Amino acid sequence: MARNGKSKVHPYVPEIYEQLKKGEVDRREFLRTATLLGVSATAAYAMVGQVTGESFAPKAQAATPKMGGNMRCSMRVQEMTDPATFDWTQKSNQARQIIEYLTVTGTDNVTRPYLAEKWEASDDLKTWTLHLRKGVKWNNGDDFGADDVVHNFERWLDPATGSSNIGLFAGMVEDVDTGKKDKDGNVVMSKRMISGAVEKVDEHTVRLNLRSPELAIPENLYNYPTAIVHRKFDEMGGDLSKNPIGTGPFEQVEYRVGEKYVVKKRPGYWGGDVYLDQITYIDHGDDYSALLNALISGQVDMVYEVDITQIDIVEKVPHLVLHEAVTAQTGVARMQMDQKPFDDVRVRQAVQACVDHQKLLDIAYRGRGAIGEDHHVAPIHPEYFALPKMKQDYDKAKKLLADAGHGGGLKLKIDLGSADKWHADAMQVMREQLAPAGIELELNIMPGASYWEVWDKTPFGFTSWTHRPLGVMVLNLGYRSGVPWNESNYSNPEFDKALTEASATLDVAERKKKMETVERILQTDAIMVQPLWRGVFSATSNKVAGYATHPTQYHDFRKVGFSA
Amino acid sequence: MLVFLARRLAYMVLTMLALSLIVFLMLEISPGSIATKVLGPYSSEEQRAIWLEENGYNRPLHVRYIDWLGGFATGDLGESITYKVPVNEILWDRLGNTGILGLATFLVMIPLSLTLGVLAGMKEGSFQDRSISVVGIVFTSVPEFASAVLLSTIFVFGLGLLPGTSGMTDGFNLIELILPVMVLVLYDFGYVARMTRASMAEVMTTHYIRTAVLKGLPYRVVIMRHALRNALIAPFTVIMLQINWLLSGVIVVEFFFAYKGFGALLLEASLTQDIYVIQACAMVAVFVAVTTQTLADIGYTYLNPRIRFS
Repeated sequence: MARNGKSKVHPYVPEIYEQLKKGEVDRREFLRTATLLGVSATAAYAMVGQVTGESFAPKAQAATPKMGGNMRCSMRVQEMTDPATFDWTQKSNQARQIIEYLTVTGTDNVTRPYLAEKWEASDDLKTWTLHLRKGVKWNNGDDFGADDVVHNFERWLDPATGSSNIGLFAGMVEDVDTGKKDKDGNVVMSKRMISGAVEKVDEHTVRLNLRSPELAIPENLYNYPTAIVHRKFDEMGGDLSKNPIGTGPFEQVEYRVGEKYVVKKRPGYWGGDVYLDQITYIDHGDDYSALLNALISGQVDMVYEVDITQIDIVEKVPHLVLHEAVTAQTGVARMQMDQKPFDDVRVRQAVQACVDHQKLLDIAYRGRGAIGEDHHVAPIHPEYFALPKMKQDYDKAKKLLADAGHGGGLKLKIDLGSADKWHADAMQVMREQLAPAGIELELNIMPGASYWEVWDKTPFGFTSWTHRPLGVMVLNLGYRSGVPWNESNYSNPEFDKALTEASATLDVAERKKKMETVERILQTDAIMVQPLWRGVFSATSNKVAGYATHPTQYHDFRKVGFSA
Repeated sequence: MLVFLARRLAYMVLTMLALSLIVFLMLEISPGSIATKVLGPYSSEEQRAIWLEENGYNRPLHVRYIDWLGGFATGDLGESITYKVPVNEILWDRLGNTGILGLATFLVMIPLSLTLGVLAGMKEGSFQDRSISVVGIVFTSVPEFASAVLLSTIFVFGLGLLPGTSGMTDGFNLIELILPVMVLVLYDFGYVARMTRASMAEVMTTHYIRTAVLKGLPYRVVIMRHALRNALIAPFTVIMLQINWLLSGVIVVEFFFAYKGFGALLLEASLTQDIYVIQACAMVAVFVAVTTQTLADIGYTYLNPRIRFS
């Protein structure tokens, strides 16, 4: 059995290895789980190789980049005050060049060491020991160590910081009574870190003590608001852009919000060779065509994102390379089950029955992705259970509508934002698909920011959801009774119970079986039409080497450069 | 003269005050809470309530209006929600960039359109007149986004002569200014040229011009000394109004070429509901509109001998 240094191997690793041999779990899920439990990526790939006979190492990069060069990337340049409160990936991409994470989850969904050189989990997954890398220095000369990591956890889990990480590390926080009451007289509750939840063992070891089991801790440590800042970050003003102290491979040299962000290679970086001398992010606004114009005319070497409508152009320009990532990014046309007419499940089911998901994918997203199945668990999620494919059935839809008292027709209005063009395209197709059943759908397309004002209030709305590595993560966030992001006001105790059971199951094969129930309940309750899972695209000049699009569009440029 | 100027300035201030009230009220009654715009859609009711109290939003409307107006008068334009910096730090740079774009457009467009307009108006109905008029109408009829795409296709993707965007990220770059200026000139020159042509054609039919010609004066002298000054009175007002258009009407061009100008800032602020930026931009646009209109009035009065300061 492969071991990660001298660490003890978690007891579940041999078990999932046996499941891999029997074909009960696939290669991807084995790699993900084994590395989360502390097995090194090299060892995990070697174990897969023993079973499948394939090469034990991930695919080698096509070419080793040459040293030097300035990577000019077209991306929005945003404010980047406090990494713990980042709410856009672009902000984290700016900061990612100067500050670093404890772990890194690659484009292959495998989590590897970063500032933590290894980690161990207790058998019950409630205690995690992080062994930090030695010899790492901040660019102000200070040594990186346990004090930095402890300080970061403390500020993430302090409600005053306002970080979304407080939800990510739910096993380390507790609800407390603030002693205040709201205008309706209800007690106002707050969250705070449990005493002893983070513990400094020695200068380079930190222990996390959770009150409930959690497998995804190493994965969560690469979620974009978890970049590690200096232990004196708050004393130095709490603004990364003004005090850019980091352990990363680059140092900030120029920063103009809305215009450009420039970093230069830092001498003495702990992580070995970094090919690029400089990275320049240039803000070309929100117009995708401006980004592409800049790339085609050689003003930049890569663009953050290519819109689905532009991929044909990119593929036709000889000096450009299109990069695609399969993701669990999606959008859902969700119906609030406590609002008329959606309080009648037959209406919701009738809407669902009209939809041809394959056509939605083909027309709205040119077939570049996967069809949705109206339960918000993606085929690339490790616990995904394949239910029978849904079929368009107008007879069923008409009967359901007639039974619900809408035999003479039904008028619906859906709110959606204009920021992503494919949203409107998908809803336009859905409007045409609903019409034969007598449902007249009106599209209310509003500016993106206006939609986010009403996203959790409108009875019928189309909301985008980003990629998350686990299906249960998004279901817990968006569909459990009473959670803040439950935009459909969905409440079904049977679903909550099934989700709790699935979330608490470590055994991958077992969790997959339990997900069948979870997915089926959600699909039958018909609270959403989910058109598709979308691929994301970026493009580079053909001189860029070592770059691959990450499913969450993170920019890790440590091993990216220009071809020789 | 002084009374006239004082009256015009008083009208200008009153107009601006009225418009400032409209700008203030429109943003006050725009959909959604201001606290949600500032704190984001995931903020809690409690956070929003605290923010409103701390920022004085629970005070009466008229108090807040006076306070807001006072802030403007003293240069406090608030903080951008998107950029998290004072609006002052963004606005003036953007305004300067649009000023550069507008000036470059003016330097090309005004001589071009006046020359073509005069040439067309000198002999109404001639081949020269018809050619200039048709070309002007054709170009003015093509929307800016269409000519931007067309010119980019030719000069960026086809010939590879010009850059595709005009972000000026490495400082001022004349080459990056060429395409936006070309689009704006093509769109606008036909309009000014036709106004000049119409005015010139009208002047050319007047008795004093006929007299000058019959007196045997050289044609060049008739045009330059007698016709031109009177023919330029009407275009002067049109040209003054183009300043206003170049400030806030070039959104499409700035957006397409990623030019960091005032129009692009206003558009972005509107889409992200960055209300303090919208308020500041709206007030600047109002100021420029009212000022250029006042200058046009004064200039028109000065140029037209039939109108006297009174």
